[in-house]
Amino acid sequence: MAKIGVFVCHCGENIASMVDTANLVAAISEHPGVEICLEYKYFCSDPGQETVKRAVREHNLTGVVVAACSPRMHEQTFRKACAEAGLNPYMLELANIREQCSWVHTDKEEATEKAIEITRSLVEKVKRNNKLYPISVPVTRRAMVIGGGIAGIQAALDIASAGREVVLVEREPSIGGHMSQISETFPTLDCSQCILTPRMVEAVQHPNITVMTYSEVEEVDGYIGNFTVKVRRKARYVRMETCTGCGDCIQKCPVKKIPSEFECGLGNRSAIYTPFAQAVPNVPVIDRSRCTYFKNGKCAICKKTCQIDSIDFDQQDTIETIEVGAIVVATGFQVQNTSLYGEYGYGRYKDVITGLHFERLASASGPTAGKILRPSDGKQPETVVFIQCAGSRDVSKGVRYCSKICCMYTAKHAMLYAHKVHDGDTKIFYMDIRAAGKGYDEFTRRAIEEDHAGYVRGRVSKLYEENGKLIVRGVDMLLGRPVEVAADMVVLATAMVPQPDAKEFAKIIGIGYDEYGFFNEAHLKLRPVETATAGIYLAGACQSPKDIPDSVSQASAAAAKILGLFSREHLEREPVVATVSDSTCAGCWGCATACPYNAIDQRDITDRNGNVIKRVASVNPGLCQGCGTCVSFCRSNSIDLAGFTEKQIFAEVMAL
Amino acid sequence: MGIQEQYRSEAAGLLSSGAVKLVIGFGEGSTVERRRPVFVRTPAETERLVLDGGCVANLSTYLLTEGLLSDGKSVAVFLKPDGIRSINILAAEAQLNPEQVVIFGFDIEEGQVRALEGRKASDFAPVIGVAKAAGLSAELQKEAELLDQISAAERFEYWKDQFSKCIKCYACRQVCPMCYCRRCIVDVNQPQWVNTSSHTLGNFEWNIVRAFHLAGRCVACGGCDRSCPVNIPLRLINHRMAKEVLDAFDYYAGECAEQKPVLATFRQDDPETFIL
Repeated sequence: MAKIGVFVCHCGENIASMVDTANLVAAISEHPGVEICLEYKYFCSDPGQETVKRAVREHNLTGVVVAACSPRMHEQTFRKACAEAGLNPYMLELANIREQCSWVHTDKEEATEKAIEITRSLVEKVKRNNKLYPISVPVTRRAMVIGGGIAGIQAALDIASAGREVVLVEREPSIGGHMSQISETFPTLDCSQCILTPRMVEAVQHPNITVMTYSEVEEVDGYIGNFTVKVRRKARYVRMETCTGCGDCIQKCPVKKIPSEFECGLGNRSAIYTPFAQAVPNVPVIDRSRCTYFKNGKCAICKKTCQIDSIDFDQQDTIETIEVGAIVVATGFQVQNTSLYGEYGYGRYKDVITGLHFERLASASGPTAGKILRPSDGKQPETVVFIQCAGSRDVSKGVRYCSKICCMYTAKHAMLYAHKVHDGDTKIFYMDIRAAGKGYDEFTRRAIEEDHAGYVRGRVSKLYEENGKLIVRGVDMLLGRPVEVAADMVVLATAMVPQPDAKEFAKIIGIGYDEYGFFNEAHLKLRPVETATAGIYLAGACQSPKDIPDSVSQASAAAAKILGLFSREHLEREPVVATVSDSTCAGCWGCATACPYNAIDQRDITDRNGNVIKRVASVNPGLCQGCGTCVSFCRSNSIDLAGFTEKQIFAEVMAL
Repeated sequence: MGIQEQYRSEAAGLLSSGAVKLVIGFGEGSTVERRRPVFVRTPAETERLVLDGGCVANLSTYLLTEGLLSDGKSVAVFLKPDGIRSINILAAEAQLNPEQVVIFGFDIEEGQVRALEGRKASDFAPVIGVAKAAGLSAELQKEAELLDQISAAERFEYWKDQFSKCIKCYACRQVCPMCYCRRCIVDVNQPQWVNTSSHTLGNFEWNIVRAFHLAGRCVACGGCDRSCPVNIPLRLINHRMAKEVLDAFDYYAGECAEQKPVLATFRQDDPETFIL
């Protein structure tokens, strides 16, 4: 005989202002099987939970319905309360009369009627609930970090230093990411490579870290604690095991005039190359599309040059299957192509460059060895104009969001320029100066006060070339008049955008993304590091524009989450899994095809002599995530989902 | 020698050599234009086999008789292209091993029977390819378009009228090679999802559930439509579902035995117009 306790929560005014809770209690009290029905201001509070527990004990309740908020908010709270009172936690249901009722209605009478229906429906469900017990699954205590920029390196180091194995996967030939391209870093102006390279070296030398460069993740299967990842190790055509990184092959390679990706096209590289001098690992790769040998079978000078025979033109891509328990996605960002601003002349005028180009010009390891020389004629620019928000915060042409780092790096660029060209002149067109962060506002003030950065509040409308000068026309909003600057070089603070393949990648690994392609966190405020897919975490600018301190902090946070997960050998999983009825399964395997988690296998049913009578579908409870896709696919209704059985759902529907 | 005689003698040969244990074909029916299935187990009986313009039924459904193929022996069956597509779907859904099915393929054009080359389902890929290229039946399309032209409310009334006739005899299910579940969803009574009494609501439930279960699987053999004793135009529902999957997913049911069920798979470039 069912004895159901129903607890109607006011949620302060959230529910009580739109639902007549006294009416709700009166209606539900009369529903068959309801033993006790109480209302209270906040059932999630300590006294509220005590009330539930006491009622369970005193009335020997067989089931509990809390009519309150979404199960996403407080299902765990009340399950725990039930368990503490001696009731199986799966004998609890939350009737959502807040998000799905009081919040979305304006007519109190109708909302009350709806709340009664919702609650009644859950009472009918809970009468048919079964006791369920958590499933224990082993955890593979090895992590994968995808992306070897500063965020990925930091996450890998933190996890590895705590004694867990890490596989760090990077698709470029070297780890380091965008930070390795940057000259100096705000707000301290220390050299980016000087602080980054020790981390790169530490990562590659760490006994717990396996670094896979020039490798890409192709497939992710499994679930938290038990992922199987397929990684494509692209052919380098250079043997990693033997190459000493002497660089002779690079010197001798006759194909030298390839615009270097690392130098943003400001410098050249050869067909066999390492992206930059401090590359880790210091093993070159052959760019197959440019190599003469791969084009016509001739040349092979690198092979002849190599004294230890490390060049291997026959190398093939290999696929490695790696088992990991958790994944950090740290795939970073790209710089938006600014050609969408025709009026700024990017791509038309050689001396209109992006912020990242400027980083390379200012970098001691860059194509100009740290001298600020303009790309067109290699002369030192006397006047430099910086245009902020060239893409960001622009609904009509660019992206809606703020790229967050441009205000700071533009101030930095103006400072670096002032330090290198003492009598130079700078003009910075800006909308606002956003310098929130430790030492950030002090930094921009220093640029203005000590290094005489010439900030002009306003937008640039047009840019054209005249007598070897770039004429920048804009408006000074503070003075309310047009300005015209004859510049030698123009730097566009371009927007930070997701990697071009971010959306496809998100689909491969099964995480969400926003309208731009930045990956979605589970909760913007309370779970900013987790994704909605358990066991997959985010770090760095793949989630949203971030500077170095933010990326590093988030990387360490992701590492902490993973180390928490790895602190136990087993993981308790929700027992909400599917089961197949052997007697009615028709064996069409539609469920196995539909299952997104590969949790359905074939199972033979044999007679006592071992002859196969029938082959049926069978769900692996360790892999099943309880999504219910198979249930809805099964034509003969042979699959049922624990906690959401057909009988329960039917009773819920019929109670409406 | 006509095609009927040719297939008779070939069938006799297969039976006498033991290559097949049974031939499922057509025999004389109650009237001149009607043909009924015959099950031939000896060479002598092949004389009963008839092949002419009246042989329209999709005989693949009889291959699913419980235990028929479980001994691993082969069965020969007379099939039109639609029936061959059924074999492909049944193979894709693991209901039979296509290697056990020997096909006497034929097609009917303007009442005349024409032999199709091949013996195994996979041999007929070119024929099916031609059928796919020709598109869904133009005749059906025309009929279906008449329904598209009326308003949704009128269309609902139309189907309400049609379904109100249904007597839940399940002839459509019994004749259909795709309805092979040992227990049909209408027979589930814990809980009773589909109301078994034949009033309009339960009739709607049954016919709509069946239409969805046939989406991407129906080969438009017309068996259900012909067998319906109250003449519900089931062909129009099935045609509509076939058109949807063809237009949205370029999916033509039964193209080959490796085809994955359209409702259980997805591609990254699938249209998602219905997702906000």
